[in-house]
Amino acid sequence: MIKLFNRKAKALLLSLGIALTSTAAIADNVKIALIPGLTADAFYITMRKGAEAAAKAVGAELIYQGAAEWNVGLQVPVLDAIIARQPDAILIAPNDKDQLIEPLKRAHAAGIKIITVDTFIGNGVYQTGKGDADFPMSYVASENVLGGQMAARALAASIGEKGKVYVSSLKPGVSTLDQREQGFREEIAKYPNIEVLDTQYNDQDPNKAAAQFQAVLGRTPDLAGVFGANLFSAVGSANGAEQAGVAGKVKIAGFDAPASIVDDLKNGTLEMTIAQHPAEIGYFGVMAAYAVITGNPAPTKIGTGFTVMTKDNIDDPNVSKFLYTE
Amino acid sequence: METNNKQMLFLTLTKLRAWVFLALLLILFEVWSHTIYGRSFLANPYNLKSLAFFAAIPLLLALGQTFVIISAGIDLSVGFIMGLAAVISAKAVAYFGAMGLPDFPAVMLGIMVACLVAIIPGIINGILISSLGVPPFIGTLGMYGVARGAAFLFAGGMTVSVSNSILKWLGNGLIMGVPVLVIIVAIACIISHFLLSQTRFGQHTYAMGDNKAAADRAGINTKFLTIKIYALAGLFAGIAGALYTARFSAGSAQAGEPLLLISIAIVVIGGASLFGGSGTISGTIAGALVIAVIQYGLVYVNIEPFWQFIAVGIVIILSVLAEQAQSKLWGAK
Repeated sequence: MIKLFNRKAKALLLSLGIALTSTAAIADNVKIALIPGLTADAFYITMRKGAEAAAKAVGAELIYQGAAEWNVGLQVPVLDAIIARQPDAILIAPNDKDQLIEPLKRAHAAGIKIITVDTFIGNGVYQTGKGDADFPMSYVASENVLGGQMAARALAASIGEKGKVYVSSLKPGVSTLDQREQGFREEIAKYPNIEVLDTQYNDQDPNKAAAQFQAVLGRTPDLAGVFGANLFSAVGSANGAEQAGVAGKVKIAGFDAPASIVDDLKNGTLEMTIAQHPAEIGYFGVMAAYAVITGNPAPTKIGTGFTVMTKDNIDDPNVSKFLYTE
Repeated sequence: METNNKQMLFLTLTKLRAWVFLALLLILFEVWSHTIYGRSFLANPYNLKSLAFFAAIPLLLALGQTFVIISAGIDLSVGFIMGLAAVISAKAVAYFGAMGLPDFPAVMLGIMVACLVAIIPGIINGILISSLGVPPFIGTLGMYGVARGAAFLFAGGMTVSVSNSILKWLGNGLIMGVPVLVIIVAIACIISHFLLSQTRFGQHTYAMGDNKAAADRAGINTKFLTIKIYALAGLFAGIAGALYTARFSAGSAQAGEPLLLISIAIVVIGGASLFGGSGTISGTIAGALVIAVIQYGLVYVNIEPFWQFIAVGIVIILSVLAEQAQSKLWGAK
C-alpha cells in the first residue's frame, strides 16, 4: 500500500516536473544571435561550435552573422540587421570598446539582452548602475591575464628559470594582448634570475617579428626565451630563431591554437602554446543568455580557461580537443 | 663655374639620395654600436644576413611597385595579391604533394600556379585603368578588396600550413652562406633593372609616366603597356607570396597587408616620383635597405620601438623634400 502510494507520489511529482518544464517552455522559441569579432577566424568558428552545442542543449535557435574583418563600420550594420530580427539575446564580440556602446544601446532599448564575448564595451564591468556601458548582462572571455601568467610559468620552466626573455606583440592598445603581457610580466617577476627586456611590436608582420628577434639576439647573445603574445608574433620570432641558428635553443612560447600549431610544436618551432577555450566562451555565453532570458540570474563576468600545449602532450585527446577547428 | 660644380654635386646627391640616406644610417649605427657595445654593426656577418633577410620580401613587392609608380600609377592591391598567392601556393604545393608528386616538382608546380593566379588581378587592374579609364588609386583599391576576399575564401579564414622540404629550403636554406631567399630576390632585382634600363618596355614605361599624351602620339601602345606593367606587379606580388609561404611553411591571407604601404614608401625613398617618369631599381633597393636598417638598427641599439615609425616617416618626408628641391632648381627631372 505504502509502496503504491510512493509510486503514485512519484508519478505526481514527475508530472509536476513536466508541468514545470512546460511553463519554462514559454521560452521555447528562444532566439539567440552570435556576432563574432570577424567571421574568417578559427577562433570564432570554434566559438560558434560551442554556442551551437549550448543552443541545442536548451532548445534555442542560434543565429550566426558577422563581418569578414575586424572593423566597426562593418560590424554595426550586421548588428542593426540582427536587431531587426528581434532575437531574445545578442552575444557579440564588440570591435571597439567605445564605438559599439551606442549601437548596442539601441539593441538594449529594443528589449534584447546583451552579452559580450571575447571583447567588451566600456570597461567590461557590467550591471553596476554606473556609467553608460553597464547594460550588458555578462562578459564571457578568457582570463587573458591568467593566460599570460600560465605562459610565464611554462616558459620559465623550459628555460631553467634563468636568463633573458622578451615579449613579442602586435601593437600597444589591443586590450587582450596588453593583458597577456601584463600577466606574463607579473608572473615572470617572481623568478629572480629571469630578466625581461623591452617588448617588441611587429604590426602583424612575421617578417618584422623575425628581424626583431635577430636584432635582440644580436645584442643579447644570452637570450633564453620569447613570449609571442599572439600566433603571428610567435611564429615570426620562431623563424628569426631558425635563421639565427638558435631554433630550439631559445625557447618560443606562443598563444592560440589553430590546427596548424600541431606541426609547429612537433618540429620544435614553438616550445609551447597557450590555447584559449573559444568553444567554452560560446557555450557559456549562450547559457548566460538563456539564463537571463528565462528570468534567472547569470554572473556578470565569466572567465574561461586555457590549456598549455607542448610537443609531449599534443597527441593526448584531452589536450588536442582544444585545437581551434573549422 | 664653381656654382655649377656645387649644383652638379647637389643634383647628384639628390638623385642618389636613397644611397646617401643608407650611408648616413649605417655610419650612425656603426658609431652607436661601437659606443655602447664596443663592436661593429656592419662588420658583423650576422647583422648583414639578418638585414638582407628582413629586406628581401618587402623589396620584391617594391620592385613591381617601382614599374607602376614610374608609369605614374599606383598599385594598392599588391599586398593582398601577395596574400592570395601565399594561400594558393600553400594549397597547391600541398595538393600536388598529396597527388604523389615528389617534393621538387610539387613546389615548382605550386609556385607556378600561385604566380599565374597572381597575374590575373594584375591584368584586370591594367584593363580597368587603361581601357576603362578607372583611376589607378580606385581601380587597385577595388582589387585590394577582391584579392583580400578571394584569399580569405580560399583559405577558409585559416592559415594554410604546408610541409615540404624543398619549399622550406627555398624560404630558409643557404647556398654558400647566403640565404636562398636573398639570392632569388637579387635575381629579381637584376632582371627588373635590365627590363627598366635596357629594354623598350622600360623606356616606354618612363615615357608614359612622363607624359602619357606624348607617349600616345609617339605611337606607344599605352593600353597594352599599362596591362603589362600591372601584370608584372601582380607577378612580383605572387613570387613574394610564394616565398612568404616558403619561409613560414604556411600561407596567410593577410601575409602582405602590412607590406603595402611599406612597398610604396620604399619606392618613394628610392627616389621615384609619385607623379611618374622617374625612379630606378637601384634606388628601390636602397630604399628597402634604408627601411630595414632603421627598423633593425633601432632594435639592435635598444631604442624604444615607437621611434621606428618616426624615423621611417622622417626619411620619407626628407626624400620627397629632396625631390621637390631637385625639380625646383633644375626643372622637372
